[in-house]
Amino acid sequence: MKNFSNLNGVNDKILKIKQLLLELETEAKIFPALSRNSKRALASIKMLELNISDIVTFDLIDS
Amino acid sequence: MYDTAGVTPDDISCFDDIKKIPKVEKSMMRGIQNKDPFPYGDALCVPLEEVSTFRQTSGTTGQPVYQPDTWQDWEWWSECWSFILWAQGYRPKDRVFIPFGYNIFVAFWAGHYAAEKLGCEVVPGGVLDTQSRILKIKELNATAMMATPTYVLRMADVAKNKMGIDPSELSINKITCAGEPGAGIPSTKKRMEDAWGAKVYDHSGATEIGAWSYECREQPCGMHVNEAMFFVEIEDLDTGEIIEEPVRRGKMIITALDRMAQPCIRFDSKDVIEWDSEPCSCGRTFRLIKGGVIGRADDITKVKGVLLSPAAIEEVVRSINGLGDEFEVIVDKQGDVDRIKLKVELMPDVTKPSVENILNDQLRLKTNLGYRIEYYDYGSLPRYEVKAKRFKDLRKKNFNEKEGSL
Repeated sequence: MKNFSNLNGVNDKILKIKQLLLELETEAKIFPALSRNSKRALASIKMLELNISDIVTFDLIDS
Repeated sequence: MYDTAGVTPDDISCFDDIKKIPKVEKSMMRGIQNKDPFPYGDALCVPLEEVSTFRQTSGTTGQPVYQPDTWQDWEWWSECWSFILWAQGYRPKDRVFIPFGYNIFVAFWAGHYAAEKLGCEVVPGGVLDTQSRILKIKELNATAMMATPTYVLRMADVAKNKMGIDPSELSINKITCAGEPGAGIPSTKKRMEDAWGAKVYDHSGATEIGAWSYECREQPCGMHVNEAMFFVEIEDLDTGEIIEEPVRRGKMIITALDRMAQPCIRFDSKDVIEWDSEPCSCGRTFRLIKGGVIGRADDITKVKGVLLSPAAIEEVVRSINGLGDEFEVIVDKQGDVDRIKLKVELMPDVTKPSVENILNDQLRLKTNLGYRIEYYDYGSLPRYEVKAKRFKDLRKKNFNEKEGSL
């Protein structure tokens, strides 16, 4: 992980995608295809958060 | 329960705070699931319409527990399994054959999705019978497989003795086991590896917990705990003290850090484990549990005043070449005295005198107990397709009722 120099940058991109998907989801109430697919994409984004954002958040990169 | 303990989410701000939370046992889940909303009860932590999949425990220790999962939980399950499969060498070039029943039990469902996620080609061997599965492995040159140790040995037996196919000449080069402790028992692992000419890797998980540990390619005589997804504590069996130091056995209390629909928080798994004192040479920083799951606190029983683990008997029986894979242990009482009967099978052309001394000696050495041993012809004892029931304690009052509920 120490060799992965731009983890903060990757995390920023993950959070941006998440924000966009959350916005899509709010617009999806009468659009089933948008609703189901943004929900599934958000579940995948959660796995990116567990693998990357949690490490950045907990400041474990250099520990 | 948490109100009674005076614990709120605001009280939890670091790992140490988790110890303030009361433990949960499987029997409590059974009680909770009699309440609303049907069928999960009030441990359900998301709206019922968010639940996307149902699984249940196998009922090995009593009435099954239902497990709801959201889609995100299911992504999490396959992410946990992705850690396992990558560590065991699964790569996109692998063709993975999964010979299990694809039913209400979680078993290898998440292994299936994780293999897909890694980019492997997955062949679901669902409703095929054992012979058809072996033929399909042969036809497709499958390179990897996932099954219980009982079924891995059963498939090898059927291939060799009913079909005239040597499984070690098939293309399987790695097998991931789950559901039973066999892949962590050296003699059982060796039998499987010899039969298939493949590496056999252990993994431990549970429906109500998740896939929490795995053996890596270094096979360090232990399993890594996935500490990105789980928080594991080890509790002294007698005092309840939390054990921090390595090489001291206790009972695992586990928290799944990201499970949503029915969270797993300080679950008393009854698995007996101990931390290894050494890191793994693979370079992973996830800690190792030495020897994998050593046993279950509720499996380890006292016979004639001596603690007995069924895994210790399995290790002895399967370390003797002249004995078959199958065996059965029956504990009962004559008057006030405990008795243990061990039924074993002699391999074809093997005579009783050639194995009985070594079997008696090894049992005495490894378990400190004497046995009444019965020898049977090869193929006489029951065969199992998924999980085996080889240990029967007839001293337990509810033994027959419990067996009936399985």
